[in-house]
Amino acid sequence: MKKNENKYLFLAVVGIIVIAVVILFLYLNSEDAGSTGTEQQVKIVCIPKAMDDSNDFWTAMIEGAQMAALDNDVDLTIMSPRLETDIDVQNQMIEDAIAMQPNAIVLAPCDYIKTTPYAQKVVDAGIKLLILDSTMDKDFGCTVVATDNVEAGRKMGEYMKGHLNEDSVIGIVGHVKGASTATDREKGIREAIGEFEDQIVDVVFCNSSYSTAIEVTEQMLAEHPDINVIFGLNEYSAVGAARAIKKLGLTGKVHMIGFDSSLEEVSMMEEGVIDAIVVQKALNMGYLGVTIAYQESLSSEIQEDVDSGSVLITKDTIYTEENQKLLFPFHKND
Amino acid sequence: MKKRKFRYLHSFQGRINQSLLLIVGIAVLSFMIISINQTNQTVKNTSAEYTSQLIQMVNENIEDYIGNMENIAHIVTGNSDVRNFLYTVNDDEMVHNTYSQKVAEQFKTLKETRNDIYNIGILGNDGRYMINDRYTVMNIHANLEEQEWYYKAKQGQEVISSSHVQNIVENEYHWVVTLSREIPNLIEPDNNGVFFVDLNYSSISNLCEEINLGTKGYVFILDDQGNLVYHPKQQLIYSGLWEENLDTVMNATEEEIYSPDGTRLFTISKSEKTGWTVVGVTYMDEMLSGTKRIRVMYYLMAVILIGVALLLSILLSDMITMPLRKLRESMKSVENGNFDLEIEEPQTGDEISDLFRSFKIMILKIRQLMEHGIQEQREKRKMELNALQAQINPHFLYNTLDSIIWMAEDGDTRDVVLMTSALARLLRKSISNKNETVMLSEEIEYTRSYLTIQKMRYKDKLEYEIDVDSSINHAEIVKLIVQPLVENSIYHGIKNKENGKGMVRIEGRYEDDEIVIRISDNGVGMTPEQLKHVFDDRVIDTKRNGVGVQNVQHRIQLYYGTDYGLSFESEENVGTTVTIRLPDTMQVDKNDGRKDG
Repeated sequence: MKKNENKYLFLAVVGIIVIAVVILFLYLNSEDAGSTGTEQQVKIVCIPKAMDDSNDFWTAMIEGAQMAALDNDVDLTIMSPRLETDIDVQNQMIEDAIAMQPNAIVLAPCDYIKTTPYAQKVVDAGIKLLILDSTMDKDFGCTVVATDNVEAGRKMGEYMKGHLNEDSVIGIVGHVKGASTATDREKGIREAIGEFEDQIVDVVFCNSSYSTAIEVTEQMLAEHPDINVIFGLNEYSAVGAARAIKKLGLTGKVHMIGFDSSLEEVSMMEEGVIDAIVVQKALNMGYLGVTIAYQESLSSEIQEDVDSGSVLITKDTIYTEENQKLLFPFHKND
Repeated sequence: MKKRKFRYLHSFQGRINQSLLLIVGIAVLSFMIISINQTNQTVKNTSAEYTSQLIQMVNENIEDYIGNMENIAHIVTGNSDVRNFLYTVNDDEMVHNTYSQKVAEQFKTLKETRNDIYNIGILGNDGRYMINDRYTVMNIHANLEEQEWYYKAKQGQEVISSSHVQNIVENEYHWVVTLSREIPNLIEPDNNGVFFVDLNYSSISNLCEEINLGTKGYVFILDDQGNLVYHPKQQLIYSGLWEENLDTVMNATEEEIYSPDGTRLFTISKSEKTGWTVVGVTYMDEMLSGTKRIRVMYYLMAVILIGVALLLSILLSDMITMPLRKLRESMKSVENGNFDLEIEEPQTGDEISDLFRSFKIMILKIRQLMEHGIQEQREKRKMELNALQAQINPHFLYNTLDSIIWMAEDGDTRDVVLMTSALARLLRKSISNKNETVMLSEEIEYTRSYLTIQKMRYKDKLEYEIDVDSSINHAEIVKLIVQPLVENSIYHGIKNKENGKGMVRIEGRYEDDEIVIRISDNGVGMTPEQLKHVFDDRVIDTKRNGVGVQNVQHRIQLYYGTDYGLSFESEENVGTTVTIRLPDTMQVDKNDGRKDG
């Protein structure tokens, strides 16, 4: 009788050991597979300002975000208004994104003021917030991945300083008055040109419209016919100003530097209307944004703000291996 | 208690189980580890081979494209219309127009057959050019002299450019791969024009993107200089956000190399024709993720195998140890004194059945020895009994004879006759009967003779009374048990009594299916201390009859077993009662008697 009991005890012990070993193995196995599985996947929603095939900046940014998602095995959802001016649409999207309960939301706010309360909702919902490209009127204490616009402005200023002398008269065509990007770039320019700062006679704004840009540039040139250096602070301003210069036959007489890239700008640069442009690294911005959001989702440690970088490109450096990639985003259906 | 709990583990069967399990476990585990490794290796190899095939396919496709472009180059550069168009001097416009039309016609045909061609162009030195058709305007800002494909072709080389943005057409910026070569000028050999054809870059990038190397894997292409022709993360590499060991890949001599951290496998295929290197990047973890199911299957198999092994080992060990356990049970029963068990010898013919046989023989021998011993014991007891019975105390004999002499001298003839006849009866009883047992009545008679003699010797000092139930007269009892006790009563109880008459009383009864004989006296009695040591051998009084209390007790117990024998009750100065208990040896007769009665 006793003997049988012992036998069952022995059986039970062996059985338990076997089961334990199996569970251990399966556990290790599932952890193995976890890295490629879907259970622990980090979910991130990325909301850029615009998504439009003709807009290279945001297309490249989204491409970068998708690359980062692939590299880090992130479940990435992209929601975007069609135009940068669709502030309400974007705000609605922020709310939709919160409802999806992702680990993090990567947001490029359309508006400095109107987007703020929605960004606050993200934070209130306990979702990690990461800001791309531009800031808002409230500091959320989260990581900002953006072009260091002061630094980018400095690059513009430093390059143009070569064309400056005491006779230079400087005009600036900005995009939106009060926009952080415009202010920062202007600040960088002023820092870089130093002693010539006083020679800036006018700063006008085009509200990111080509036609307005042409108008205000023409107006500015009419008011200050002696202007021979023009800074364009974004793509609209730069192209508008360049068109105005070309139209007025001032090519070669007025030195012009633009910001951001488009084929028209490149073309103008080849023509010699524009001396140089400073280009942001949109793809890097998207890539870094999602990568950092992923890392922060895992470690809950807030990283420092990141400069996604900018590059100065002149006529001579358009076709270098690196710059071609920045200036001519490659689309499959080209 | 603890030891018993784990007895099974220490048992023979337990040890067999453990050994079997250990062996099976080690075998299964090593098998599993080897299998999993082998599977991983196989999957890795298969995957690498698959990747290698894909990469080679990409390379072949690229070679195909390039070959096609070379064909076009061959056709165009060898075409007389093209040469005429570029080099003929002093033409009138009409003639030149004809050439240009012919060339345009040819370009149109070529472009129609190949939709992966962006531009076909010929560029002369004197401003004559044709790109695609007669209407396409060249970008005057395109700085041809600084473009590799142009100046190298002019130097007479055939160039296959890396991927680049072609800006030769006004307002068109396409990603292309350009093939260019000179167009020999037969009139002015130093004044060569250049032919170029632009292959749509998407033809190549699509090829690479269509290759599926897992979700994370990708393909990239390097040209002969080590420049990136295609890389999905090209911009990240330029910004330092993505690390690709391009130098290692360029300098690799093997077709497969691992990244320094071992997480990625580079499968390399170099093309002699294009000089390009196509590299497939696969992630090890993805490659091996397919083996997960196989691994799970292995684990399950291992568990099932171990489970089956466990069951089998228990069954087997049970079978093996079964005879052993039987043997052990037999031994246990022998241990407990049972030698009469039937031992079933198992028909296994192994060591254990040998053991059984030996054990059987051993038991047999022990049994023989025991029987022998019992026989010896019986004889020994008989001899002992004889020895014990044979004695009549010489002192008693001498004293009796002495008394007879005194009585004879006094002329007390009647008493002399009485005593002498009693002595004669006594002697005759003790010598005549060779049996161990006598009838109770005979024993009583014998005692009576003894008492007669003693009464005559002690005169007024001794009285006796015998009251034995006649129903037990025929009971067979061991002889010489009553007389020695009476003798004991006289010598120890009554002899020392200081005043009054001594009284010895013998009673015989049938009580509770036993024969009970009580010998009581009114002598000095015993102290509780004495009573305790009444059966001790040490208390042997040499003056006394050799047949002492312990002798009687010994004989009764030798004969009837320890359930029977003597018991004493005594009180100092009051007297002693000895009770003899004996089995009812005439039960059958008595039962019969009852039936009759």
